[in-house]
Amino acid sequence: MTMFNRSDKPADAPDTTRVQTPAPAPEPVRPQPVSQPMASAARPSSSTGVSVISRALKITGQLESTEDIRIDGEVDGDVRGVSVTVGNGARVKGTVYGDAVELAGTVDGKIEAKKVVLTGTARMTGDVVHQDIKIESGAFIDGHLKPEFGKSDGKSKAASTPRPVEVKQPV
Amino acid sequence: MSTFSFRTRPKASEEKSLAVSHLSRAITVNGVLDTDGELRIHGHVLGRVNAERLVIAPGGSVEGDVVATDALIEGRLNGRIFAINVTLESSAEITGRVFHNTITVARGARIDARMPWRPPSYFETLDQLPETRE
Repeated sequence: MTMFNRSDKPADAPDTTRVQTPAPAPEPVRPQPVSQPMASAARPSSSTGVSVISRALKITGQLESTEDIRIDGEVDGDVRGVSVTVGNGARVKGTVYGDAVELAGTVDGKIEAKKVVLTGTARMTGDVVHQDIKIESGAFIDGHLKPEFGKSDGKSKAASTPRPVEVKQPV
Repeated sequence: MSTFSFRTRPKASEEKSLAVSHLSRAITVNGVLDTDGELRIHGHVLGRVNAERLVIAPGGSVEGDVVATDALIEGRLNGRIFAINVTLESSAEITGRVFHNTITVARGARIDARMPWRPPSYFETLDQLPETRE
């Protein structure tokens, strides 16, 4: 018992230190977010599907996905996906590759896709290499439209022309 | 009047909730990611991450430095965390350093890291990350 009552502190001295020591640790800076991501991250459904670059996110660098990408924020670099959507207000500075690209925002660079849709709010500065394009009224384009997708380098992966030679079966 | 109250209420809740960005399992990002919202990483990130709230989901991985207010790690991280509130779940694999003010570590988490405590003021003045790599 005497071991715990160190020296001869006055009875009220520990009380004041005890009150003051929790105070300089202001952990409740943002207390409620801590519990929230735990619950939301537990959802297994969120591990698949489309990647969303929200309005608040800026990426400097490359994105590469074997699934769909939706961009509402800002990307400074190349984007490669299956179906890429650049939303209204979004900005991409670089090349957007994909099977299907829908542009409602701004691209400063290049689009290379089999199927391209430029909506009325699209603002495209640079070339569009496509196989199939739709341009809505109001879209701004400063660049060349080239219907050459899959003709130069993508010959091997062009699924539109299935040749009988390609059908190789193991002997 | 009823439509007015209907419209204002969701807007108020939108302002409170953070904009959520989501990187799916199939994605690889090489570079700097910067957001004042929430970022959930199920894929792979090579580079620097700045977020208000960061979640590295199971299967997700980050190689590089991470700055956040809240960080929830359920995946792999090779690098440094600078976050006020850090939660390392049992599936977490951390190599590097974890600078934190409050931390929770679940049983089973694999941690090969130093975990220095810092006061909240340290994180407010974190414009340039210190060089601690050795």
